[in-house]
Amino acid sequence: MAAKESKLNEVVLQGNEACAKGALYAGCRFFAGYPITPSTEIIEMMSGEMQKAGGAFIQMEDEIGSACAIIGARWGGSKAMTATSGPGYTLMQEAIGFAAVTETPIVIVNVQRGGPSTGQPTLSSQQDVYQARYGSHGDYEIIVLAPSSVQEMYDFTVRAFELAEQYRTPVILLADEVVGHMREKIVIKDGSKNIKSVKQQYVVSPQADFFKGEFTTVEGQLHDEQGRRIGHIANKSGEFIYNINKKITDNIDGIADITTYCMEDADVAIVAYGSVARPALNAVKHARGVKDDRIAPKFKIVKDLMTRGIQKTIKTDYSHLKVGLVKINSVWPIPEDLLRQATERVDTVIVPEMNVGKYCREVERVLKDKKVIPMSKCGGDIHTPIEILDKILEVTGIEEEVDINE
Amino acid sequence: MRINVRFAGSGGQGVILASVLLSKAYGLEENYNIAQTQSYGPEARGGACKAEVVISDEEIDYMKVNKADVFVALNQVGYDKYIDTVKDDAVILINSTLVEADRPNVYKIQATQRAEDMGKPFVVNIIALGALTRLMPKVHYPAVEEEIKRHFNASIASANLDAYKMGYDIMDQDLKELGYKTGFGDARTY
Repeated sequence: MAAKESKLNEVVLQGNEACAKGALYAGCRFFAGYPITPSTEIIEMMSGEMQKAGGAFIQMEDEIGSACAIIGARWGGSKAMTATSGPGYTLMQEAIGFAAVTETPIVIVNVQRGGPSTGQPTLSSQQDVYQARYGSHGDYEIIVLAPSSVQEMYDFTVRAFELAEQYRTPVILLADEVVGHMREKIVIKDGSKNIKSVKQQYVVSPQADFFKGEFTTVEGQLHDEQGRRIGHIANKSGEFIYNINKKITDNIDGIADITTYCMEDADVAIVAYGSVARPALNAVKHARGVKDDRIAPKFKIVKDLMTRGIQKTIKTDYSHLKVGLVKINSVWPIPEDLLRQATERVDTVIVPEMNVGKYCREVERVLKDKKVIPMSKCGGDIHTPIEILDKILEVTGIEEEVDINE
Repeated sequence: MRINVRFAGSGGQGVILASVLLSKAYGLEENYNIAQTQSYGPEARGGACKAEVVISDEEIDYMKVNKADVFVALNQVGYDKYIDTVKDDAVILINSTLVEADRPNVYKIQATQRAEDMGKPFVVNIIALGALTRLMPKVHYPAVEEEIKRHFNASIASANLDAYKMGYDIMDQDLKELGYKTGFGDARTY
């Protein structure tokens, strides 16, 4: 299939719809899923659009079936995707391990909601950030991307298909309810992108050319290039395990992706991923004085004046606060080098996330010499810029009430 | 310029749809950046529902509304819950059939009553949207009209277009009496 050169279109879409559009643009022609809030719009859109694109859509009996169906579809020659949320993602873990060991390039979208268990169907969280990485048993590496805007829902879905083919691995798009349900104006492309499978030195599973017709074995036990079992041979098995991990960890430069704002002269960095990066950016802009006109006057009561019953309003200038933002786009594998480079001159790092404080531990491991301050928020609401600005002021030793008038 | 709009009401009143149509009108017809978000419970009908639209000529970072410039309340519970998080000079529009406001300078539209009079109780949100469009700066009548046409099937588009026009005209009359160009009156100029 030749790549048709694409026209740009401006549209207002929901994050989930943008994800479906991105998948179709990336050449996804098989979708199997089971609807679950807050990811249902992906399945809804795929059920209509997939047929128009000449692909196949199946509503499965459950999420286990969905994940298994897309593995089969990929070995049958179609680029394939499924989408779900926490409870369904849990059910998919066995299949994700199978996809990792058979080196099957598939894309799985997890639009996170509040957990554990059925949890909070309509509210947001980032509680699955570890499950995305460590969900299935055994030693495997996996690629996880975290979008924070509707445009990124589209772009990262396309990127997920590229990475999946390039490294012969399942790729997880780790979205959340906020970004999944949000509508924004974005640019999408017509036609479809021709994403090619890449033959890779590390890949140990059969590298059959899909659609060419070839006898092969797709095997969940450790296997060789022909798909024959090697689980009983210790040295070969060890080599297999190292290879399926190394194909990710040795290629981290090609996978790692971060975006930085105002980090050139920053003393304090906010490290955020997913939708939380948005209020974090707003807080950084306020701290930097970019939005000075929008900072409401700070009501700072001067003590000696207060004793005389007079309150004085002092407008505070925060432009001396050197704060920056590092937005992590490829959450796993954690972009260690990029993160270290970006935060080189920083001594304090704040990690806001919508869970009890998970990714901050990984950041702490990478940035051993820095003070890493977790900023957890649970309950379904995203951090507000005021909360993040408050935290910035707290760690920089400024005690003041802040109010953002926007 | 950043305008923060918040809609509150009950699930089933069309709160989210009204916010989507408004955001598309600004985004696609008037060429602003928009971010539309919502929050609701697991119920299909009933339960508190909130929708927010941020309109800006810059790239939008924070996509939710902290303090609203514009607040639309379709029911009392929604009004009570969010009335304290509006700016001092905010435009407040209430569905006066169901909402009693505890402050002056509130714009009113009998949305539920008018929809029932039309025999089309489902157009409550669109009547309110019509009134809101008249109050908002930087958006023109045809912009929202276009989005209504695009959204609804032909069979129910005309009822919604009538509802939209009715809400717009009523508010137009009210603003003319006050001598205001937008709902912000003399407080702000855009």
